[in-house]
Amino acid sequence: MVEEWRLLDTGLHDAFYNMALDEAIVIARSKKLVPNTLRFFRWEPSAVSIGYFQSMEEEVDIETCKRIGVDYVRRRTGGGAVYHERDGELTYSVIINEDHPLISRDFQKTYEKLCSWLVRGLSFLGVPAEFKPINDIIVAGKKISGNAQTRGMNVVHQHGTILREVNPAVMFSVLKVPSEKIRGKMIKAAEERVTSINKFLQRDVSFEELKKALIKGFEESFDIKLVLGEITDFEKDMAVKLKEEKYSTREWNFKR
Amino acid sequence: MGRAEYKVEGGKLVKAQVIIDGNIIRKVKITGDFFLHPEELIEELEEALVGSLLDESNLAKLIRGVIEKKNAILLGASPEDFAKCIVMAGNMDG
Repeated sequence: MVEEWRLLDTGLHDAFYNMALDEAIVIARSKKLVPNTLRFFRWEPSAVSIGYFQSMEEEVDIETCKRIGVDYVRRRTGGGAVYHERDGELTYSVIINEDHPLISRDFQKTYEKLCSWLVRGLSFLGVPAEFKPINDIIVAGKKISGNAQTRGMNVVHQHGTILREVNPAVMFSVLKVPSEKIRGKMIKAAEERVTSINKFLQRDVSFEELKKALIKGFEESFDIKLVLGEITDFEKDMAVKLKEEKYSTREWNFKR
Repeated sequence: MGRAEYKVEGGKLVKAQVIIDGNIIRKVKITGDFFLHPEELIEELEEALVGSLLDESNLAKLIRGVIEKKNAILLGASPEDFAKCIVMAGNMDG
């Protein structure tokens, strides 16, 4: 019998709830309350997330975020600062028990494995993507997806971004740059280093079309059937609690 | 307080903030876009370095010791990279 996973499409939420729900699913999975899960989600309002080890003050231009209504949140995973644009980005999470055959003890190998379905999904859209260690997916040498992973409670959690559209000018207004003088230079450099599906294909790929391709990529890569489901009451309550007590707090977001 | 940044070749960016007293570390904060599992070990690691000599090989050995003792995984940087950045930051203090 083919292995089945739960597919969640949780739509648009604020940054604090989004990160809280990821952790809530991890907890639910560790308690064996839910199956392995692939979740798609987006951000409203647009938001910046920073890696666990980053400093909020060093990475994020808080004043600009406040002015233009962009949230900022610390992730439970390491890695770098990311600008999640409401209409530009699709985000996913994979939550899986650690003793699953897809998981290796080697983190680098697990990144490559848990990125392979994205690479395949993008290929169905005509985007010749490839995995680039440590945790990126690139197309024609430019980054199109960033991914971050953590483990704990016998669960592996990987989340990441897929850029449908990219706007380096906005990106560098919410992220700190070493000096105003080089802001323009950094925007230019980002334009050369980062791409998006729409930019690469020179056409507008909808979120629905993108998700369809990625779901096919996942099912074919892993021989797993995704069954559309809902979050449980446990996850919902836990997410509300974690948003309130962790991800929306200054204590967490400014802890480093 | 001294600050430094160090981009690991083929890896991630490591940043350090260090306060020294003579040649002894009084406070250190390591930030950056690397990965450390478990994540919470970073605070413990920073604590473990307080009181030690601002010396690259000494720090690298200490950091490696903490990581190995906890069976932790550091990805995108090495204990030597952390040590190098901490010494650079320490030399900027004062």
